[in-house]
Amino acid sequence: MSITVRNISKTFGTYAALRNVDLDVGTGELVALLGPSGSGKTTLLRIIAGLDQPDPGSGTILFQDEDVASRPVGERRVGFVFQHYALFRHMSVFENVAFGLRVRPRSERQPAAEIAARVRALLALVQLEGLADTYPSQLSGGQRQRVALARALAVEPRVLLLDEPFGALDAKVRVELRRWLRRLHDELHVTSVFVTHDQEEALEVADRVVVMDHGRIEQVGTPDEVYNRPASPFVYQFLGSVNRFHGRVQNGRTYLGGHELGEVEDAGVEAGTAVGFVRPHEIEIVRCADGRPSLAARVLSAHSAGPMARVRLAREDTGEPVEALLSRDRFDQLSLQTGERVHIVLQRVRIFAGIAPDGASVAPP
Amino acid sequence: MAGTIAARPARTTLAFTRPIAEPRPVRVILIGVALGFLLVFLFLPLIAVFVQAFAGGIGLYLRSISDPTALHAIKLTLLTAAIAVPLNTIFGVSAAWAIGKFEFRGKSVLVTLIDLPFAVSPVVSGLIYVLLFGLQGWLGPWLREHDIQIIFAVPGIVLATMFVTFPFVARELIPLMQAQGTEEEQAARMLGANGWQTFWYVTLPNIKWGLLYGVILCNARAMGEFGAVSVVSGHIRGRTNTMPLHVEILYNEYNFVAAFAVASLLALLALATLAAKSAVEARTGPKTPAAPFIASR
Repeated sequence: MSITVRNISKTFGTYAALRNVDLDVGTGELVALLGPSGSGKTTLLRIIAGLDQPDPGSGTILFQDEDVASRPVGERRVGFVFQHYALFRHMSVFENVAFGLRVRPRSERQPAAEIAARVRALLALVQLEGLADTYPSQLSGGQRQRVALARALAVEPRVLLLDEPFGALDAKVRVELRRWLRRLHDELHVTSVFVTHDQEEALEVADRVVVMDHGRIEQVGTPDEVYNRPASPFVYQFLGSVNRFHGRVQNGRTYLGGHELGEVEDAGVEAGTAVGFVRPHEIEIVRCADGRPSLAARVLSAHSAGPMARVRLAREDTGEPVEALLSRDRFDQLSLQTGERVHIVLQRVRIFAGIAPDGASVAPP
Repeated sequence: MAGTIAARPARTTLAFTRPIAEPRPVRVILIGVALGFLLVFLFLPLIAVFVQAFAGGIGLYLRSISDPTALHAIKLTLLTAAIAVPLNTIFGVSAAWAIGKFEFRGKSVLVTLIDLPFAVSPVVSGLIYVLLFGLQGWLGPWLREHDIQIIFAVPGIVLATMFVTFPFVARELIPLMQAQGTEEEQAARMLGANGWQTFWYVTLPNIKWGLLYGVILCNARAMGEFGAVSVVSGHIRGRTNTMPLHVEILYNEYNFVAAFAVASLLALLALATLAAKSAVEARTGPKTPAAPFIASR
């Protein structure tokens, strides 16, 4: 069941939570809505679910080819997992999962024995067989999360929506549970959308990542695409750490500290300011530049616990901080000293024109 | 030996609690004052009621409460409560549901209006009904034409009681429902439950103890209300006297034994209410035991 979102806007009072959002989710896909808080990702999820209504006349939402905008929540057949699970606190785990099956109109309702069998099967699927008779308050966060998932799956939803599914869990359980969710999705293949503010989570779990900011979609792509080929400065900065180098554009070429950096992404910009984005692992530290374009910098500190070494430097010309990520071997080979003068070579730079040195967009992207 | 070892941690605990505890004489005085106050102002009067009620022996006591006018007063009180409490329960639940679960214009006005009966003196509440439904009142001529009597009759008593006991259930439920939020209801709707199923299977079980608590308080006040009912009842013996009014009449006639006999029934009701209230409070956490450590993994 595919989801098509067309031109959806949502305003709360004067605050625009979503502005003309378009989104396509393919059948069986697992898509992450990623963004900082206030980016509109949860609003979009709730509108898809039918828990919130888009602005009147603002657009449509299709499940496959059916317009669901006017269908009430209960008829959309959407499985929704709430951030804080919203389990029925006075019902046992079994009753929670059975709820969606038991409230069906008499004509559609399965016999009690069938419902019980289905609930048992779901509890087995989420690995909670032994806990059917316990109450939500007796469960750990990870267990509650899985009950919420089983409850949502019980009604055989056409799409599964999850709001910050791992937000309330501690770090270790989070990682385990998100891998488990990925495996579960590979088994069930139900079209799923989840909201997260954690880029690592989105990149690891999702087939495709939708990066949102200020009520707009900044980029949609595979984790590899959004991480390695960010479409905007925002996506660059939001996904992973990044170094910024300010330069100038002249005749379509960018110059930085006397060196030419390369072509600007935005074709058509002839002159003005530009910012080059470089990931820490795309910076090479050398003692001798060998004629390659490089910048002089001093080593401030090095953090070498773990498989990679993180080196903090300061540019000699501007004093701006630069972070580089080196392999263990390279780091040992260099044996950098604090305060030492080195050269940094930018191996891969992505340049966005029209950005003032303070980071604000001069022209809207 | 074992005894010495066991005693040591206890002493340590005491040493730890001392810095935040008051000195012994202060504690004794504070507790003494509180208990003394309770004894003089609550417990002694209660004892006095029963002592007076049985002053003429058990036979007189039984005769006093089985007197036809007394029996009628008891019946009328029960009837009033039987009408006012269910209606106020329905009203209280719907008001709390609306206020706790939805956002709408005029919500704060509604909350203030619900509190009005608490803020207004019961006598004034009674007078409002006289003003509305009395012979000289706004609706008086119309009511007389259609031969409907409200003031100095049972309908007036029920209306006045309802007005006074209006806020109990709603007041109890509003904070509870607001604290519980709407996520469980949303989850139920997403799973296909209709509005009624959502209320019956999700909302109601979550508020049932608070609701019961509110109903108990509402009932206690409905049976014990004096001021408002006194204004609208007309004190017609055997016809419009509720138990509290009957007590007052007997007392004014210097019929102390009978007055206290009926009063003792009201006191018993109060005790039963307190017992029920404590029982409910002891169970405010529903059947789920609060033991999150049982199955943490």
